[in-house]
Amino acid sequence: MSFPSPDKRADEKLGQILGRVGSVRARLNSLALQHAIFYTLAIVIAGGAAVFAGAYVLPPLAFLVGGSALAIVAAVGIASAVGAAWRMRASALKAAAIADDRAQLKGRLSTIVALAQSEPRGPLWPYLVEDTLGYRDEFAAAKIERRRVSRAIYPLAGAIVLAALAFPISKIRRAPQIAAAGGQDDLTVNLDDLHLRPADPGDESGMQVTADPATMRRLEDKLARESAAGGNVAGNSLNRLVNRAREIAGNLQSKLTGQQMASNHRLNLRLADAGNDQDQNEIRRAPETQKNQRGEVAGQFKQEQPRSNREIDLPRQNDSRQPNSQPSPGRNGEASAESNSGKDNPDQDDSATDRSIQQSGENSSNGGAAHGIGADPDSLFGAPTAAKLGSEGFEIAIEARPVDHGAKGAGHAYVPPKVRTPLNLTQEPDEPVARAAVPADDRTTIKRVFER
Amino acid sequence: MNNVQAETPTVADFARTFRRVQAEIHKMIIGHEQAVEELLSALFAGGHVLIEGVPGTGKTTLVKTLGLALNLSFNRIQFTVDLMPADITGTRVILSGEDGRREFTFQPGPVFCHILLGDEINRATPKTQSALLEAMAELQVTVSGTTYRIKPPYFVMATLNPIEMEGTYPLPEAQLDRFLFKVRLNYPDEGELIRIIASTTGPEEAGIEAVFHADEAPARIEALKRLVREVMAAPAMEIYAARLVRATQPQNSRFVADEARAVHDEMVNRYVMFGSSPRGAQALILGAKVRALLDGRANIAREDIEHVAVAALAHRIMLNYAALSDGIDAAHIVERVIKSVRAAKV
Repeated sequence: MSFPSPDKRADEKLGQILGRVGSVRARLNSLALQHAIFYTLAIVIAGGAAVFAGAYVLPPLAFLVGGSALAIVAAVGIASAVGAAWRMRASALKAAAIADDRAQLKGRLSTIVALAQSEPRGPLWPYLVEDTLGYRDEFAAAKIERRRVSRAIYPLAGAIVLAALAFPISKIRRAPQIAAAGGQDDLTVNLDDLHLRPADPGDESGMQVTADPATMRRLEDKLARESAAGGNVAGNSLNRLVNRAREIAGNLQSKLTGQQMASNHRLNLRLADAGNDQDQNEIRRAPETQKNQRGEVAGQFKQEQPRSNREIDLPRQNDSRQPNSQPSPGRNGEASAESNSGKDNPDQDDSATDRSIQQSGENSSNGGAAHGIGADPDSLFGAPTAAKLGSEGFEIAIEARPVDHGAKGAGHAYVPPKVRTPLNLTQEPDEPVARAAVPADDRTTIKRVFER
Repeated sequence: MNNVQAETPTVADFARTFRRVQAEIHKMIIGHEQAVEELLSALFAGGHVLIEGVPGTGKTTLVKTLGLALNLSFNRIQFTVDLMPADITGTRVILSGEDGRREFTFQPGPVFCHILLGDEINRATPKTQSALLEAMAELQVTVSGTTYRIKPPYFVMATLNPIEMEGTYPLPEAQLDRFLFKVRLNYPDEGELIRIIASTTGPEEAGIEAVFHADEAPARIEALKRLVREVMAAPAMEIYAARLVRATQPQNSRFVADEARAVHDEMVNRYVMFGSSPRGAQALILGAKVRALLDGRANIAREDIEHVAVAALAHRIMLNYAALSDGIDAAHIVERVIKSVRAAKV
């Protein structure tokens, strides 16, 4: 029967001590790792939630600035968390020192760990090992560090709660936009208040305006005036950069929210040039347009989601001109084809333009007498009106993007489009009196009455 | 004198012996617990002690009692201004031999003993004071080209009278540095004073019982001193001691490569003229080892170092006149340094 040598027994005891120190070290390093992971996750989740919420509630430029600042803060925070975890990591010696401090072992463990590999160990080494082993219950890993989970779990939980709170914001903010998309199909815009400028070279979605020649001339004149007046602004590279940044931020917001932001909406604008003589009669008949009599250009435009690529709802001859009428899917489909006609279907585009011009011509050929009240009796009895009245003199299809001019130095202030409020059930839109066929027997009588 | 080889003592033996000697001394010395402990610590650490105290506080009695308790040879030198080096080291005198021939024979001075009390050492001239240097540091005396060994254990206790400065010669820094600790004996408090009166004015004197037999005492004490040296110091403790010492040096960043880790204490820079020498770090570790053994440990801890820091470093720090005028003493500087190093977590 053999007994283990004293040296072997001492080594076994030393192994027990070092094993316990190893457990302490493993737990400390686990906490350090958790610290890094939890804080990183917390920062990423909280930052993501803030960006997500900001995508809904912030304008593009503020979103871009806020998002950039948040990204910097998050990067610094993550670096700090990782750095702190790196400093928290424990070597065997550091773990022993921590255990010494917390268990009040007065350097026993530190000395053992530090001198375990050194030779010779000295006559007091067995005493030190035996003495330290007597405190083995004091430096168990569970006693030195009770936590298995880092306190960084609390910031992580807070970040998750924050993210959970950010989700309802998206719900709240999405509903009004959808309602707006559906409810603001018909808008009236005072073109004289619009800021016109040449499209940026990098702007993929330029502006396309189609109108009768007179209106186009007026628009060209206006564009020339705007360019001359605001040339310094348009040529300002900073302004261009700001617009570019705004566009990028808007695209990011669109991707985050899954919605097309206002800046990306493709618009179709139908304009009634109230400044032209040929449309004076129409202005007189349309109360809304009469408000814009002083050389203003009034119009209507429809706003649609680009995903569906339904763009134009051009008024047809039988358009009832209900101010708030919703475009039917079929009509939208037609409009889409028309809007893309610039590239895909030039014939339809031309026909739409022709139709607008033709309609203007019709109105013009009627000389306004058809729409006038109390006009020359000689022209009282023309042919009945073929088209339904109430349409504007021409149509312009505009694929445009509203520009937020709220940014400093952007020149003109942004004028929101005038929105026609929907009519209730008991209201009727103002319509000009339709020309009707007059019986031949009554014509003499009527003519006589008007001649008085 | 004796060739008794003592057994290797254990940690428990050391603590038991230490406490027993301590108890014997306190039969005669009332109070001064810390001073006695520091005195014995210096003894077992193999150093020498400078005792500073006003007259009548028991300096001489303390040393005499220690000699009795340890059962070691004891000598006392009263240092005066006319004391010559040969008076303490010994000299060669002409003696007649058995055959009638006369020859020079070395007559050992009072330094040849185990425990030497140099009373009011600052009254002697620097020449005489320095005569102790060789004996203290190397346990040998050289007279007329001949070196004479002093048998260990050798323990020098020098006293300083801090009141009477006239006609005194302050110890040079080199000599101060050779004392492991500087022990301060303060006035006893009222309770201690009453006990002193009761125990010293009665018919009976306290009987001091020797802890060791006379023939084995030197060997036992040497064995205990070796045991102290066996106490383990982790590298972190040595680093801590080194940083404490370095922190006592004004503008020490000039002397260290790693400036970022240098401890700058404004008080040290303002009041300290010269900081501790490397002997200060040795004193810290040796004193801490004795403390560790007394605590039943075979390793030193940071608390041990801090416990002996004032005794080990204060007399090694040379203060400037600003400190004197502001009433700052070296002990205060050392305590401040400990706080600075501890706060720096280095």
